[in-house]
Amino acid sequence: MKLLLRRLGLYLITAWVAITANFLLPRLMPGNPIEQLIAKLQGRVTPQMIRAIKLQFGQGLNQPLIVQYGHYMSGLFHGQLGESITLAQPVSQVLGGEIWWTIGLIGTAAVLSFLIGTTLGVIFGWRRGSRLDAVIPGATFLQSLPYYFLGTLLIMFFAAKMHWFPIEGAYDTGTQTQGWNWGYILSVLRYSQLPIISIVLSSLAGWMLGMRNMMVTTISEDFVLMAVAKGLPRRKVMWHAARNAVLPSVANLALTIGFLVSGSLLVEQVFNYPGVGNLLVNAVGNEDYPLLQGIFLLVTFTVLGANFLADALYYLLDPRTRVSGQAQ
Amino acid sequence: MTDKTILEVQNFDVDYGYGDAAVRAVSDVSFTLGASKVLGVAGESGSGKSTLVYGLTRLLREPGVIVGGEVKFHLDGEGEFDILSASEEEIRKIRWSHISIVLQSALSALNPLRRIGREFDEVLRVHDANLSKEQRRERSEELLALVGLRPDRLRRFPHELSGGQRQRIMIAMALALRPELVIMDEPTTALDVVTQREIVSELAELRRQLGFAMIFITHDLSLLVELADDIMVMYAGQIVERAPAKELHDAPRHPYTLGLMNSFPPLHGERTELEGIPGSPPDLKALPTGCPFSPRCAFAMDKCRQERPPLVLEVGTEHSVACWLHDSSYQGAVPVELSKRLAKNSGGAQ
Repeated sequence: MKLLLRRLGLYLITAWVAITANFLLPRLMPGNPIEQLIAKLQGRVTPQMIRAIKLQFGQGLNQPLIVQYGHYMSGLFHGQLGESITLAQPVSQVLGGEIWWTIGLIGTAAVLSFLIGTTLGVIFGWRRGSRLDAVIPGATFLQSLPYYFLGTLLIMFFAAKMHWFPIEGAYDTGTQTQGWNWGYILSVLRYSQLPIISIVLSSLAGWMLGMRNMMVTTISEDFVLMAVAKGLPRRKVMWHAARNAVLPSVANLALTIGFLVSGSLLVEQVFNYPGVGNLLVNAVGNEDYPLLQGIFLLVTFTVLGANFLADALYYLLDPRTRVSGQAQ
Repeated sequence: MTDKTILEVQNFDVDYGYGDAAVRAVSDVSFTLGASKVLGVAGESGSGKSTLVYGLTRLLREPGVIVGGEVKFHLDGEGEFDILSASEEEIRKIRWSHISIVLQSALSALNPLRRIGREFDEVLRVHDANLSKEQRRERSEELLALVGLRPDRLRRFPHELSGGQRQRIMIAMALALRPELVIMDEPTTALDVVTQREIVSELAELRRQLGFAMIFITHDLSLLVELADDIMVMYAGQIVERAPAKELHDAPRHPYTLGLMNSFPPLHGERTELEGIPGSPPDLKALPTGCPFSPRCAFAMDKCRQERPPLVLEVGTEHSVACWLHDSSYQGAVPVELSKRLAKNSGGAQ
């Protein structure tokens, strides 16, 4: 437990560094974002509006940097990330609304891909050298296609041509309204199918190959030979091997979840799906700095959180990582 | 102890690889093992001693293939069990309950993610579904006590134990189902000499108590002399000599056995200079014609380089040797080191 707490401390320091960098970067950038914003409005601004914008960025009072930093930090602790310029809403509110789409779609797809890929990997590893190995090039081919290409291909064929799936969006905006009603939930499920399939197809090979190779390595370990020698049924022997072989994949899964937000960008663009990725693209396009800063913070925290999750999982799954009493 | 035979091996051959790429790792090995007897198998690395026992128990990994021979295991009251023709399911039931095995490295032989108790529990449960959880735990503790370990070791993970403790645990586990035969594949090689001694004497004691037979593989002949009833020396996948332990020790007949013997300091007795065997173990892909040991043998004759000597039982003894020096056709004098003689310091054999 002490080990985990020490790791947690390390992550807190990392988070603080990231937050500070997030605070400093826009202020150190050549070309003041505020000036740019004012220039974009091309003289249609009154001095009051300029003052309002500056206030919004916390720069209007010509405070020294350290005081601004104090304001920024205290605001952060209260969940205030500033106002989005383009959406005229608090950034925290914007992110709070969109994050669930991303978690729901990318998270589900990542977990599904992990489960399917790892299970296949166990089987393929157990039967290495059999005809099953012929599936591997196919899976790696799907992974090697650029994601937007694969996604577009799937949309063209299965959605536009065959009409098996909706083409874009997160739910049927024509007939459904958001809320906890069956029509809406079913619509969301239906619209998420093709995006999820596309993500699983493009990421399956990684899990599968990783697990297969770990299985092949683990099977040659003595304790697997012992499991056979002990007369255990095949299923149990496989479990001895798989339980050991899965450790690196579990760590990878946690790290993948860390890239959930940043990885959502392509999927959400291809399927015109709501979510943080889409938000990021729009924020960059509109030079919406407060929103950008908010998204960067979110990415930082998910990556750090996922790393901590990976550590915690490893701690739970592998007794060797626990610092415990010595032999004797 | 009875004279019953429990294991019978006839003309056993094992290859590595298939077709033209195949290499014969165990060649034409035949032997029998009596109930409650200890058979020592000695030889350098690559002599085929491990391949032999993994073959016998059908634990051989790819690309090892059994290409010929017969292996019969005699079950008490249930007759003969043909190991090579048995189905996977049949052999699974024989494993551990009748034949168990202890490997060289106990650390890698134990699942690193499991507590010791769970490993015991699993093997007991798989082979006897009638045991209750409580009975399984009691039996596990009993087994640990057998090898001098406290019951709280069941709660430990393998990495929390010392090398000696782990190997004792492996031995305890091998005895869990009271098998008739325990195969020991260099069980003490990875341990320091002090622990090695302790474990060997514990094994001898356990065997007296429980009466299981043992095949004990090692390259340390001096260890075998103390533990084994019979010793079989292997070279290039073949048996080159087999004799009762004491006799082999006192009067080795094969030059290779002599070389092995001179490579280890004796556990007791005066200190002598170690000699070792010149050259290195043979490349199985390119065995010399004739006797495979001939290129390294100090006594090699022309015949040794042309014809392979058969394993011949010396008349009126239990001593077999595959060497032209001891063939009836050989006219010259047998080198004094390899001749029939009384032992140097103990007048036991012959």
